[in-house]
Amino acid sequence: MSVDTMPAAEPLYRSQRLALRYFTAAIALFGVMIVFGLLSAAYYLFPSMLFNTLNFNTSKIMHIDVLVIWLLMAFVGAVYWYLPKELGREMAGIRAAEITFWVFCVAVALVAATFLLVQYGSASEFTLWFINQGRKYVEAPRWAAIGIVAILLVFSWNVVGTCVKARRMTGIMWVMVLDLIPLVVVYLDAFPADTNMSTDLYWWWWLVHMWVESTWEVLIGCIMALVLMDVMGTSRRIVEAWLYIEVMLVLGAGILGLGHHYFWIGTPQYWLAIGGFFSALEPLPLLGMVVHAVYDAGMHRLKTNNQPAFYWITAEALGNFIGAGIWGFMMTLPQINLFSHGTQWTVSHGHFAFYGAYVCGVIAVMYVARQRVTGVPMLAGRTWRWGFGLLNLGMVGMVMALLLAGMAQAFYGRAIGGSTLMAFTTASENLWFKSGMYARMLFGVVFAAGYVALVYDLLRSPRRAPAIAAAPEPA
Amino acid sequence: MNPAALLETAALMGLLVLAGGGYGGLYGAGRLWSRPALVRAGQACWLLAFAIALLIAVRTPLDVGWKLLILASALVYAVIPPATWRFLQRLHGDEESRP
Repeated sequence: MSVDTMPAAEPLYRSQRLALRYFTAAIALFGVMIVFGLLSAAYYLFPSMLFNTLNFNTSKIMHIDVLVIWLLMAFVGAVYWYLPKELGREMAGIRAAEITFWVFCVAVALVAATFLLVQYGSASEFTLWFINQGRKYVEAPRWAAIGIVAILLVFSWNVVGTCVKARRMTGIMWVMVLDLIPLVVVYLDAFPADTNMSTDLYWWWWLVHMWVESTWEVLIGCIMALVLMDVMGTSRRIVEAWLYIEVMLVLGAGILGLGHHYFWIGTPQYWLAIGGFFSALEPLPLLGMVVHAVYDAGMHRLKTNNQPAFYWITAEALGNFIGAGIWGFMMTLPQINLFSHGTQWTVSHGHFAFYGAYVCGVIAVMYVARQRVTGVPMLAGRTWRWGFGLLNLGMVGMVMALLLAGMAQAFYGRAIGGSTLMAFTTASENLWFKSGMYARMLFGVVFAAGYVALVYDLLRSPRRAPAIAAAPEPA
Repeated sequence: MNPAALLETAALMGLLVLAGGGYGGLYGAGRLWSRPALVRAGQACWLLAFAIALLIAVRTPLDVGWKLLILASALVYAVIPPATWRFLQRLHGDEESRP
């Protein structure tokens, strides 16, 4: 059914109603992430702020962990949204999925409360189990990590079970089902088991690079394939061909690209060559993606019945190229990375790459859901443009500011100062660094304003506008 | 690597990929709207990318192996947009000719 003939009151599948709950939770947590991002940025301007009440490390934990959780929730929601549409039936294990959603929400609230109110504990097993595991990105205590494994298992059952019950498999579903294996298995690296710092970091990077980057990248690839069919009417054969190419590239360059995280953690020297070589290959497929984005946008002459989703999809392709391609390539070779790693330069790359690769994509799915729920034949107007413009402006401004600050750190603190504590302090007092931190705060506020506009636009009742003549026909 | 070379090398690496992206974007737009001027502008971007790769090879303190890799990357950049475009046209053409 094309979107211009979609009746407003057509009932949703239960899994799609559940997806809406996931989107709501995800967008709320997106806001929490921004609040703690702003707070973390403020510490750089006022270092003694909230000293011994809410320290910088707690705020940063909230900012980063909530990022992981809200994106994970959005992915789960997106899959639940498209699963019945793709396989033509209600999702298997829907009741378990509904229960899991509330368990997920309660667990997130409990972990957040623990981080904010308890913050840290003694060096004991109790702390690992109930307060904080002490591993960046996955600080959540062990009980919560086990909970995430259980949630991912239920999610896997939902996907696989629906395929089995529908007796139907598409190319997209094959890729998604196979991706569920690393999605569950690699997450098990969240449980610390090694007291050797180098060995521990070696596996921890599997979690960060393989799980959050490679596995998620394939998952968002599947989701975007479904979105492209939905929003732009791209044929199944075309999106599946590109999905297979993406999987090949992830397997070919992405997995050993992991090596760029192994430069300075005590691993053998050959990782310098492996990591540098495969990371240098990573911009090549992104260049192909730029051409593809231009082709798709042009072929549809920028016409679509869901303008916000279309623009966010385009932003994803370009954001991924700039954030991962340009920003990543600047600092990926070991000779440069020696100076840049762990500075705001890395933070700049991380913000841009995550935003381009994931955030833009999941916002596009939310607009797809919004159009379906409201039943408007043409989703356009001006309000969404404020969200789109301010979020993108805020992000570009933040990453430019962070790049400036990070280069100052690498230049003054590392290359000139020799990475001593005094050099770090001197670099932190440098005017370039401080200017970058102020600019980051300013653009962070712009980003927050964009978030408010986005939420307002997602929640308000859309005005009905006539559908365009050439509505996309999903394959 | 001295401090100035660090920033210079990093900036050149970023500009290399940016010029490559400019090539891909302009080449695609030029082919899409049948505007040879845009295609030529895209090709100029590739020339710029290759010039940047040469600059990296000549001016920066990277080891020879990395310099060769970057030069080879810049050469591969030349092929990617036309090859991708042909692939897309064939894929879409096949799709349209299917019953």
